[in-house]
Amino acid sequence: MLKQYFIIGWRSLRKQKLFSLINILGLAAGIAFSLLIAAYVREELSVNSGLKNVGQLYKVESKWKTESMGLPLTSVGPLAREMKRQFPDLVKNYYRWDGVTSTVSKGDKAFREGLQIGDSTFLQMFGFNLIQGNISTALREPFSLVISENMARKYFGRTDIIGETLNIESFNGTRRDFQITGVLAKPVRNSVTEVNSSNDNQFYIPLNTLSFFNRDIERWNNQYVVQYLELQPGTSPALAEKAMKQLVTANTISDISSNLTPYLVPMSDYYLVMENGLVQKMIYTLSAIALFILGMAIINFVNLSISQAGRRMREIGVRKTLGGKKSQLIGQFLTESVLIVLLATVVALGLYILARPMFNSILGKNIPSLFVFPVSYLAIPVMFALVVGLIAGIYPAFVLGGLNSINSLKGKLGTVGENRWLRRSLIGFQFCLAAIVFSSAIIISRQIELFFGKDLGYDKEFVVSAQLPRDWSAAGVEKVERIRDRFARLPQVAGASVSYEIPNGNNLNTVQMRQPGTDSVNAISVTTLSTDQYYADTYKLPLVAGKFFETPYNASDIVINEKAVAAFGWKDAADAIGRKLTVNQGSGDLIIKGVVRDFHFASMQQPIEPSVFMNVRMIQVYRFLSLKIQPGNTAASLAALQKEWSAALPGTPFEYTFMDDTLKKIYTNEIRLKQAAGLASGLAILIALLGVVGLVSLNIQKRVKEIGIRKIVGASVSSIIRLFLKDFLLIITAGALLACPIAWLIMDQWLADYAYRIRISASPFVTASLALGIITSLLIVLQTMKAATANPVNSLRSE
Amino acid sequence: MVELKHIYKWYNSGSNRTFLLKDINLRINEGEFVSIMGPSGSGKSTLLNIIGMLDGFDEGEYQFLHESVHKLKDKQKSALYKQYIGFVFQAYHLIDELTVYENIETPLIYQDIKSSERKAMVADILDRFQIVGKKDLFPTQLSGGQQQLVGIARALIAKPKLLLADEPTGNLNSKQGEEIMQLFRELNREGVTIIQVTHSEKNAEYGSRVIHLLDGMVEK
Repeated sequence: MLKQYFIIGWRSLRKQKLFSLINILGLAAGIAFSLLIAAYVREELSVNSGLKNVGQLYKVESKWKTESMGLPLTSVGPLAREMKRQFPDLVKNYYRWDGVTSTVSKGDKAFREGLQIGDSTFLQMFGFNLIQGNISTALREPFSLVISENMARKYFGRTDIIGETLNIESFNGTRRDFQITGVLAKPVRNSVTEVNSSNDNQFYIPLNTLSFFNRDIERWNNQYVVQYLELQPGTSPALAEKAMKQLVTANTISDISSNLTPYLVPMSDYYLVMENGLVQKMIYTLSAIALFILGMAIINFVNLSISQAGRRMREIGVRKTLGGKKSQLIGQFLTESVLIVLLATVVALGLYILARPMFNSILGKNIPSLFVFPVSYLAIPVMFALVVGLIAGIYPAFVLGGLNSINSLKGKLGTVGENRWLRRSLIGFQFCLAAIVFSSAIIISRQIELFFGKDLGYDKEFVVSAQLPRDWSAAGVEKVERIRDRFARLPQVAGASVSYEIPNGNNLNTVQMRQPGTDSVNAISVTTLSTDQYYADTYKLPLVAGKFFETPYNASDIVINEKAVAAFGWKDAADAIGRKLTVNQGSGDLIIKGVVRDFHFASMQQPIEPSVFMNVRMIQVYRFLSLKIQPGNTAASLAALQKEWSAALPGTPFEYTFMDDTLKKIYTNEIRLKQAAGLASGLAILIALLGVVGLVSLNIQKRVKEIGIRKIVGASVSSIIRLFLKDFLLIITAGALLACPIAWLIMDQWLADYAYRIRISASPFVTASLALGIITSLLIVLQTMKAATANPVNSLRSE
Repeated sequence: MVELKHIYKWYNSGSNRTFLLKDINLRINEGEFVSIMGPSGSGKSTLLNIIGMLDGFDEGEYQFLHESVHKLKDKQKSALYKQYIGFVFQAYHLIDELTVYENIETPLIYQDIKSSERKAMVADILDRFQIVGKKDLFPTQLSGGQQQLVGIARALIAKPKLLLADEPTGNLNSKQGEEIMQLFRELNREGVTIIQVTHSEKNAEYGSRVIHLLDGMVEK
């Protein structure tokens, strides 16, 4: 019997080519999208799951009462080590590392790389494998180096490189060979070798080498150390947290201990919840979108199946008179719908393969290829097809299976065709969803325009920044300033500046500042920016009052922004000039020489903070050379810069980034969301339109006779087209009206995350609704045109 | 075999009650070949549908082979007609998506007959109706007469005791119609009870008895 169901299902599919195509395409698009998202979610959920004893692994995070005092990511240096030493009952093992960026070279190959300098427990604690080298000794000797398989190929073109050396530069310009003692097999994604997207460090160096970089993580006032703990089996993290707080109280200065509460995040969750649960939010958002899209596709299916019922009614009647039971007929229609969904799933698997590269670039993740899944996973799409097929088929099956046999033999539509209210609301619902996704996509892209627009407060156009080799000393600063001046003299360069910070949200320090003579409780936390006097020129920061540092250089000069003026309670910018500030933990008096207009140093998620510019000569730390290029032939300008760089800084890679790209990095997630929303609205519209095409064509078939009669009594072509249009436009309008408040609510909530946000106007909703309406109308006009212009004699004769 | 007593069927439109059938009393014995005649709207098809248990009635009693149909539930009715009754329609009502072979096979599938047995039965009837060569064709590839032949073959495949035919020759030309009637006569001689609805006096003559209906009542 099943065989006959399949046969007849297959044949009716082939007979109704347009209907089948629409049905299968719509479903396939929905299924492919869901499968891709599911694969993405699975991939994201599996991060860290491959670590050894992952159930006992915890990442140490920090909660700071004054948020600007430190990062959640890191904590005070000796914490993890002392936990293991003083609480061996609680803590089984620990790993800490310090991340630095420096120049790594082999012969004439030189790149800036992220180095992870940490405890020698690294390899064994997390269960990483070496494809070359000895796990227990690889990180023992000073100046030994473990690198990833990738990097081995990058520098050597092969992986059997034990005993080879790589040259690494320190921060005062000295260089030294490091001996390679291990090559790390590519680990599954985890938050140890890649704690976040800007720390995919692939060079691992033992902690006993840290002094080469002039750094020290064993001090309690170094709060920038990434740390992991492996607790003893069965230990509650709360207990360990208490012990950590105890250590912090006992060992750190009051400023830190009163502010810092370290806490533990299970490694199994860490990736999902880090950075305010960014990944989790993305997973939820995408899953919700996928469910909606799939829902729309299923609705289409139900809708089309019911509308098509008329065609099948005679068959149903015949089958009943031949002895078919209701349950058997229901079985037949369910089999058919499962068959269609199965076919759609096969198409969807094809789409998966085709669309995967696009999804990879949108989501910035590597979605696994279909072929890496174990064969047993084949059961998933099959199960999926069964379930979706049953869900999608159950309603049409019951409606069709329950028809009265005599009426259906006579072709009386009865309740089936008449249930237009249901079909209308389903279509309306689809349009509502499409309008929500579409208008949301518009609003998201408007907000992103804001990120990159004029409101930044500085001019990002034609600015590139490149990292300078470190030599953090008075002599070092002088040297880079000379290099800066060389660049400034190039005709292609409009401005050049040396600084520690560029406007990408990463600044070195936040300090407590107050006016001299006031109590330290009145101190205000300000972000410090270490720049030279050309910074305002290069980034076109408008000066409100005073000057951006004075020449000749004066060690006590500072420049502040308007937010700082307000924070210290001065009347206006001019009032601030000449006033003095001092850093809480003692420094001389600093004199305000200038005030710049507020600009967005960090993401627009955060409000602009009070900031203080200090001269690089005083702070003696720097990272970037920012260059504003003359507009014109950018490629030629960059070539000139490259030439100058090689001459000025031989052996150092010139790795530049346009400010635009720097900004894109800050807003990676927003841009991903925008692309995902764009894709989803495209899909949603496609599916909604497929549904309309299907329904209109069935509607036309049903009403061929009516159209013929109307024409005979004198209806014009346009009046007949209007007849069909009216039906759908009403539904679309209703759907769009319902969509507006829902989309508004969702988007308002999304925008609430941003300190600087667009105001939601009517235009995204109007644009989305109008676009939907116009596209649909065009489609309907095209489809009805043929029926409306046909000779009525033909349509009437057919009966 | 079939015994109808005081059968009434009506529908209400507003306060008026319109009768489709009015006090029908009818007895048809096994082996008879009965023709029901009457003008359009006289209730012929309704009567046939009631006899075939496809339609219900509002009042009266119906005995079919000693079963009281008016007391049966839908499920039992359907089991009963599945076993004993075959239908032939004016518009053939073949399933377009199935081949001749599959169309004929369908009732057997619904009766849960084993595949091998089905094959034998279908082969047998194809042979008997001399349509073996057409078994893989779809209904739309056949002439009207051939389609009706398939329809009859399908009605007979499960070896029913009673064959109900609603204007079986209505869509056919006279030669094809005659052949079908010839076939009915043969079937009747082999013991199948036949009730047909027809407009044609000529077709009615093939039967052993004619029942005339007018406005829902039996004439005479």
